[in-house]
Amino acid sequence: MRGVSTTSLIPAETAARVGELLAPPVTVTVTAEGSQRYAQAVGDLNPIYFDEAAARAAGYRSVVVPPTYVAYALVQGRALHDIGTDGLFVGDQPIRLEVARIMFGGEEWDFVAPVHVGDVITGEARLAAIDQKDGSKGPFVRITREITYRTASGEVVARTRQIGIAR
Amino acid sequence: MSAAQPYADELAPGAVLPTVLRNASRVQLFLYSAATWNPHRIHYDVDYARFEGHPDIIVHGPLQGAWLSQYVTDWAGPAGRMRSLQWQNRASALPERDYEFHGRVTAVDGDLVTLEVWEQDPDGNVLMPGEAVVQLPRRDRG
Repeated sequence: MRGVSTTSLIPAETAARVGELLAPPVTVTVTAEGSQRYAQAVGDLNPIYFDEAAARAAGYRSVVVPPTYVAYALVQGRALHDIGTDGLFVGDQPIRLEVARIMFGGEEWDFVAPVHVGDVITGEARLAAIDQKDGSKGPFVRITREITYRTASGEVVARTRQIGIAR
Repeated sequence: MSAAQPYADELAPGAVLPTVLRNASRVQLFLYSAATWNPHRIHYDVDYARFEGHPDIIVHGPLQGAWLSQYVTDWAGPAGRMRSLQWQNRASALPERDYEFHGRVTAVDGDLVTLEVWEQDPDGNVLMPGEAVVQLPRRDRG
């Protein structure tokens, strides 16, 4: 495998998975309840997320959702026995690495079209990249998951690259 | 939510966005965990957060990203459309502390305005650098 040495934190079987789907695509109908609870929890009370007239006055066809909410509209709940004592989903990390912990490192969003309450959205997550880097605290692995969100007619509404830092 | 609507042709590189302060209560962290179905204990259980090496429960990286998104969309006004946003979570943020959001215009190209945006603590340490591209109306095009 290219770049894999005896000190690699990335097993060859993991490196070979770049480009693969990480899970079956998920499809949901975006609800006002979910979006508005998210907006309230963030502290973003922009009326375009709550009020039809305000959304239309701002040029939208109906109530829209906060741009980053689409990622959470697609989060699937789990049974309690599928959640570890640390609160993380068991078996949620299909990427095998020789590391202890993965931290959230950032995100890169493209917002192509607004997402409205009532839209049916499908999200498809792929392993976009996995690289080992040398940091001030030693080697770490940068994992990039790319999620593409599409409407029922296949139009891309948003895309995000979520960066995980594993060490 | 912004009272004023910015126009692309009235902006130039170097223009500074107003600073916004955010401060998360412990209740907010709990509600954000609930609203995003995130059961990770580092966001609501102090003892467990310390076990993982944090000084206290920590603010979710994506919540700070959502604050950055709101910082941009509030500034962009009702006619503005955020086309892209990226950020890096470099350090953890804690509840019940003030964090400042800053921004400045780095480029204007037609109706697209590029912003450098970031979150810093009151001492000026940058926790989360980022960049946004916003589509704004132009007065010279009606």
